[in-house]
Amino acid sequence: MRPMNRAALPADVEAVLGQFYTCEFTTVNRQGQPMTWPAVPYYDPARGTIVCAVSIAFATKAYNARRHPQVSLLFSDPTGSHLSDPPAVLVQGQAQVAEVLDYTPDIIGLFKTVARRQPDSRRFTSNPIIRRLFVWYLFQRLSLTVTPERILVWPNGDFDRSPTQIELAGVV
Amino acid sequence: MWSDKLAAFIGDYPSAVLSWVDSSGYPLSVRCRVGLEDGTQIIALPNLPLIAGAWRGKACLLFHMHDERLEGLRQMVLKGELVAAEAGAVQFKVSEFVTANGRPDTDRMPHANAPVHMLQFYRLGRSKARAYLAKRGAAWPPIPFEEIARAVDRD
Repeated sequence: MRPMNRAALPADVEAVLGQFYTCEFTTVNRQGQPMTWPAVPYYDPARGTIVCAVSIAFATKAYNARRHPQVSLLFSDPTGSHLSDPPAVLVQGQAQVAEVLDYTPDIIGLFKTVARRQPDSRRFTSNPIIRRLFVWYLFQRLSLTVTPERILVWPNGDFDRSPTQIELAGVV
Repeated sequence: MWSDKLAAFIGDYPSAVLSWVDSSGYPLSVRCRVGLEDGTQIIALPNLPLIAGAWRGKACLLFHMHDERLEGLRQMVLKGELVAAEAGAVQFKVSEFVTANGRPDTDRMPHANAPVHMLQFYRLGRSKARAYLAKRGAAWPPIPFEEIARAVDRD
């Protein structure tokens, strides 16, 4: 996967990608209807990619992204991030979908991110009985790895302003 | 289809995320304020962000919230379209309410403190997962639970 030029990203944008607990992940279904659901993102600053995962039981987001790989992730809810007056950030990019069969550093990073942001989830993942019961939700998952192509930034999260734009398509 | 039960939750959210698809095929989203117009089953979008100003057509509205421990999760999506209204106003015409919990009466995600709801979610998810695996045609490979747990604990 093509790495993104990190130097292109301002520090406040990097902070949002790395610290917001959730993003609003949009895929496009067969009817051309956008569908947006919250997701926990793991931002890998070295590769410049963002990884999310969905349970095989609720895989519509992954099916949509396989058919229509252009997706977007809006970072607009700073709850829990402890960032002061952060911008809102929209990432548009190409998604690659895969079954989580190998526990790569990105996937482990996602598990760590969830455990850190949602500490009560450790009760589920650490209990052998519960994790067997909910294996379809916690571990049998599809990953969506997004390579950003364009980023829009609204300073101070003010959507009444015109966003600034960062082009990343073709940047190596 | 309109849902009075789910529409009643809209007022709990200070804002919603509006999404549409631009001419390049990429989705776009903005956060905006919404208002329910009594008796009309139409959602008003006052002060629509500039970037969404010209769009009319298929769109969706996401309502979601969580607390600082990523608990208290609530979420629902309204499918529909942006339509022009009188005096240059823009409205969201709803075609369907969708919840992530599979229920028609609440936007709250399952939680261990609500065991009946959790059991319903478990049965729904397990059934759908079995259908996925049947279509896959092969069992899911063994999962290294302890290896994952150790990696998470090292954090």
